[in-house]
Amino acid sequence: MNTYRLLEHTADMGIEAHGSTAAELFRQMALGLRAVVTACTDIRPQVERLIEVTASDREELLVNWLGELVFLLEARQFLPASIEIEAIDEHRLTARVRGEIFDPARHFLEREVKAVTYHQLRVEAGENGWSARVFVDI
Amino acid sequence: MSVKIEQIDACRWRIPREGAMRTEGLVFASRRMMEVLQQEQALEQVRNVATLPGIVGPSIAMPDIHWGYGFPIGGVAAFDLDEGVVSPGGVGYDINCGVRLLRSELEVQEVRPLLERLANELYRNVPAGVGSHRRDFKLSVAEERKVLTRGARWAVENGYGQLEDLAHIEERGTIAGADPELISERALERGRNQLGTLGSGNHFLEIDLVEEIHDQQAGAVLGLFPGQIVVSIHTGSRGLGYQVCDDHLKMMQQAARKYGIKLPDRQLCCAPLGSPEGKQYLAAMACAANFAFANRQMITSWVRESFERVLGRAQAELRMSVIYDVCHNIAKMEEHLVAGRKRQLCVHRKGATRAFPPGHAETPELYRSVGQPVLIPGDMGRYSYVLVGTQGAFEETFGSSCHGAGRVLSRHAAKKRARGHNVEAELAAQGIIIRAASRATVAEEIPEAYKDVMDVVGVVEQAGIGKIVARLKPLAVIKG
Repeated sequence: MNTYRLLEHTADMGIEAHGSTAAELFRQMALGLRAVVTACTDIRPQVERLIEVTASDREELLVNWLGELVFLLEARQFLPASIEIEAIDEHRLTARVRGEIFDPARHFLEREVKAVTYHQLRVEAGENGWSARVFVDI
Repeated sequence: MSVKIEQIDACRWRIPREGAMRTEGLVFASRRMMEVLQQEQALEQVRNVATLPGIVGPSIAMPDIHWGYGFPIGGVAAFDLDEGVVSPGGVGYDINCGVRLLRSELEVQEVRPLLERLANELYRNVPAGVGSHRRDFKLSVAEERKVLTRGARWAVENGYGQLEDLAHIEERGTIAGADPELISERALERGRNQLGTLGSGNHFLEIDLVEEIHDQQAGAVLGLFPGQIVVSIHTGSRGLGYQVCDDHLKMMQQAARKYGIKLPDRQLCCAPLGSPEGKQYLAAMACAANFAFANRQMITSWVRESFERVLGRAQAELRMSVIYDVCHNIAKMEEHLVAGRKRQLCVHRKGATRAFPPGHAETPELYRSVGQPVLIPGDMGRYSYVLVGTQGAFEETFGSSCHGAGRVLSRHAAKKRARGHNVEAELAAQGIIIRAASRATVAEEIPEAYKDVMDVVGVVEQAGIGKIVARLKPLAVIKG
């Protein structure tokens, strides 16, 4: 089940999610990002990308992780279908992302995400698992 | 957290200096705008900017202010070159997002029957929407680097437009000091397919009608007349600029720690203007700004071609020259008079437009008697404005004015409002043709999503930081 939720912002949009583990949280946030960009469900896991991001703390790790997906989408037209976080700690994340290259016959992008921001950025671990919030510039 | 606010007069409000603030905040707004503003975080952001080292004068907000990232949208802040900082968040992700206005000799009656064809032709010739670009234009890495140093001049030299166009662009379409070596591979890659594209979101290309001239003399100097057809272009540096901002925000997170700058918000990260990090950002920002100038210049050329094709008339007859091209997301090195003393400052304008007065050396020669043109788009259903800069702006806001209407509804709320409405048909009934790549964009950009820009420029004029010249009405709007 997906736990992400899209948030209101006067000019842009936010993504909030939770997960029982950090890996699940980061996966959910990525699915939330995809939901900002497209409502398409027919994305096939045809190509695989191995992603590694590093950061000085877990908030920055989230920004860099989502930023990587924004880059792949915009510069390489890569739409993620399935996301597997292979390893994650405070400073590093590795993920196996399967998806396909944008196909104008079947896909439609609703919005362009300019960037993932640090505005009201939050990644927290609590008794009930992990939660995070991020705003993206549209 | 509530922000203390004191009314100064009918259109000015002060955020008094307290806590870590190094200066006070100055907000231009009507009472009604202020009531709305107090419900969001933009005022807090004005206050946060006031805490940054080396800020000169107040932390300023224009009447189209709304909350942004770190700096508010509609924010102006000037910094001392020795003690001050430069902040990528004070410029924004879309570096040199701006507006260009083209004039023409055409009158509305001759264009109205061809409007639909013109809209279609523009939509075909100017790529709009996510991922859209011209198949007949490919940019090599080597050429892309030239774009970054030469800006609009590169575009003219490559057949897009004329040399005369450059005289009516802020900084003549090229910001000096650009160093492409500082641009990441990622930024270059994001930009390569996007030169000569409009993008999406609030960017647009519009055919407008000059509905009313408020200032006859200035209108005549700018080449405007009632009933005239003009074209507005609103876009920026596309993925290249977003990536440059992103790359430098990361560096500045480290830099702020290194230089011991205390930040109330991570998004405000910055570095001293004299530091290597600060200088590198400015040189990279100049690259992105030049990319944006070239982008608007190429689109200009395609707009001219589209008009020529549909109307079957040559440019010599259409005379679609550039009235002006303004940046509204930028940091500039400028000379200003502070407490009677000339000082070099770095002025950040994020969602704010330079509005230099009559007589200023940077105001193009043709406009020197009336002031620098200031282009203020509204929403796609109502109107936009042309203003000129004033001495008042030069003295009070470091020569700055507002940049647009400013959103009032979130994208989600706008979409909800648009549900059950055929926005395109409703606008068509008002005589406005919409061509858009995405239905979601149209729903999110409905006129009701924005403040009435008339209220915004009303406050600007009342405060004396801009003078209204003309009101434009949209006839055809191309959206991403």
